[in-house]
Amino acid sequence: MPEPPHPFDRRFLLVTGKGGVGKSTVTAMLALRSAQQGHKTLVMELNTQPRVAELLGHEAAGPEVTCVERNLWLVNIDPSRALEEYAVMKLRFRALYKLVFENPVMQSLVRFVPGLNDLLMLGKAFNHERETDEDGGPAWDRILIDAPATGHGITFFRLPKIIRDAVPAGNMHRETAEMWALLTDPQRTAVHLVALPEELPVRETTELHAHLRDLGLPLGHLFLNMVPPPLLDATTRADFDRLRSRPADARLGLLWDITQVRLGREAQATGYAEELSALRLPQVTLPMQYSPTFGRPQIEALLGALPAS
Amino acid sequence: MSADRTGFERALRDARLLITAGSGGVGKTTTAAAIGLRAAQAGRRVAVLTIDPARRLADALGLSELTGELRQVDPTHFEAAGFACAGEMWAMMLDIKTTGDQMVRRFAPDAETAARILDNTYYQYFSTSLAGAQEYMAVEQVRTLTADERFDLVVLDTPPAAHALDFLDAPDRLLAALDSRAMQVLRGGSDADDGLAARLLGRGKGLVLKSLNKLTGGPFIEELTDFLLLFGSILDALKVSSRSVQALLRAETTRFFLVSAPYRANVDEAVHFKEQLDRRGFPLGGFIINRVHHPCPWIKDDVETLAHALDELADVPLARREALVTRMLAALKAHQRMAERDREAVDRLARLNHGPPVLVPLLPQDVRDLRGLDRVARSLTA
Repeated sequence: MPEPPHPFDRRFLLVTGKGGVGKSTVTAMLALRSAQQGHKTLVMELNTQPRVAELLGHEAAGPEVTCVERNLWLVNIDPSRALEEYAVMKLRFRALYKLVFENPVMQSLVRFVPGLNDLLMLGKAFNHERETDEDGGPAWDRILIDAPATGHGITFFRLPKIIRDAVPAGNMHRETAEMWALLTDPQRTAVHLVALPEELPVRETTELHAHLRDLGLPLGHLFLNMVPPPLLDATTRADFDRLRSRPADARLGLLWDITQVRLGREAQATGYAEELSALRLPQVTLPMQYSPTFGRPQIEALLGALPAS
Repeated sequence: MSADRTGFERALRDARLLITAGSGGVGKTTTAAAIGLRAAQAGRRVAVLTIDPARRLADALGLSELTGELRQVDPTHFEAAGFACAGEMWAMMLDIKTTGDQMVRRFAPDAETAARILDNTYYQYFSTSLAGAQEYMAVEQVRTLTADERFDLVVLDTPPAAHALDFLDAPDRLLAALDSRAMQVLRGGSDADDGLAARLLGRGKGLVLKSLNKLTGGPFIEELTDFLLLFGSILDALKVSSRSVQALLRAETTRFFLVSAPYRANVDEAVHFKEQLDRRGFPLGGFIINRVHHPCPWIKDDVETLAHALDELADVPLARREALVTRMLAALKAHQRMAERDREAVDRLARLNHGPPVLVPLLPQDVRDLRGLDRVARSLTA
């Protein structure tokens, strides 16, 4: 029998989904598990408010690759810096770079070129994937990318293909062609989707799934975040359902109200989880953490939801 | 205006344009519809414009679908849902997918230029993400509606926060980009340029293009330049209409409401968004927080006492009643933890000096029908 798929089956992992669904949470938990298993892990956050470091209880990561704990490195990619690095590499002279790119005319042009920032960030990620250690082996056992939110995300993933097709030859063609080869390689890459059991996130996840599949990107797991765990078992549920109306007793009335809301949210979440099962992706259900704060203890609690590896 | 009314109620009564903004997934579209409904219930004639193709919202309004065409909610639906509505409620979805093309056709000096722009490879690839074009058309459409005498109030639901900023900036940003010196350079330089900059650019143009070509290889830059030049031809027409849009967004009768969920990331975005509004001089009406767990008291009685109070289940063994009560208390505990988290969000936004935020409680189900929408609408002014 083939082994069931695992979120760590591939080395180059992108985590995406609608804004606010918990992409950083999923990135952080995967990173923590990976590092704890002794794999040298790099987390890349792309031009966003970096969240992963904080979720794991570390100082925010800057544009330098930084080791935050055993086996775990973080970096927040800064597109203007990535442009400089890339340009200096290609133009060979920093002075020439300054002349060209630090002139206001050029900066205004660069800002206007849609997608240039994204391409640069993706390029950085791509370079880390190629990076080797002293023995010539891959420098990273696993690379996790907290990718931009959906909508923007679709353009982001398409970008190397767009440029590859738009530019028939030369440096940029070659680089984007290689990037696209990596992104679409099911041996190396997986795109994990994150969703919430709510209407808009579910619809957007369905759309995103279709887009990514049509693009030929290898899909990984679907993480369903903030799912209210079942409050009642069959017996208590049957007993609760026999309470036809809100009890007159003030204490029981309050408990009845709160329980109604909770059961309603559970039922709604179950419906959306079923809807998402039509995508036929292996699903990981992340239970809602009823905690006033959200940080490392909650991330660690969520690790139990990951399949064993 | 009487002093005892909150800013929100004032806005519902007097504003001509209300704009909801916030991060994705915070219930912004539903909030926009609930605001519209509340105003309609007070007798105003309201048009709600949404950008998301919100299937559920169309269902909730009893419309078969939301399209680019304005449609009125059938007044009998209100009665069927059990409430009265003195005013009118209309809704439509802004179709921003085709607006880039519309904009080109509308503002291009002639059909041939329009065709060449629409034909440009670069335009085709990026027309869905071209900085500000779609947002620009959407805001244009809002301007048309606010001038429409059939409506007292227009409620606009913007795209999620990051893009909503694009939305507000769209006219300015698009113009700035197209009008930039980069454009002049690519067009062949400007004679009227001054001093050092001119010398730098005079020399720069060739160097810039050469370096860029070295970076990209191939005709990438030529194609881009061609695109920018063509697009620049619609600049002047855009400028004129941009001014009136900007004036509308800053008008005395316009109010922005920032919608948030009580999660910290959403609140961070709301705070960030307020700063952006302030910087641009756009009028903030206040904050609305959805899915709030209201604080409630802990129940001190023990499980057994409560289990005995469950009269309706008198025939059920005490142990089973206790098991149920225990689970209900667990739900209360979880609710209280969430209430603690939500309180922080509420306090933080209240401190930003726009009065207490409007709070919409977490409901057992998200809004799916007019009854549910009415429930949210009522909680807005509770």
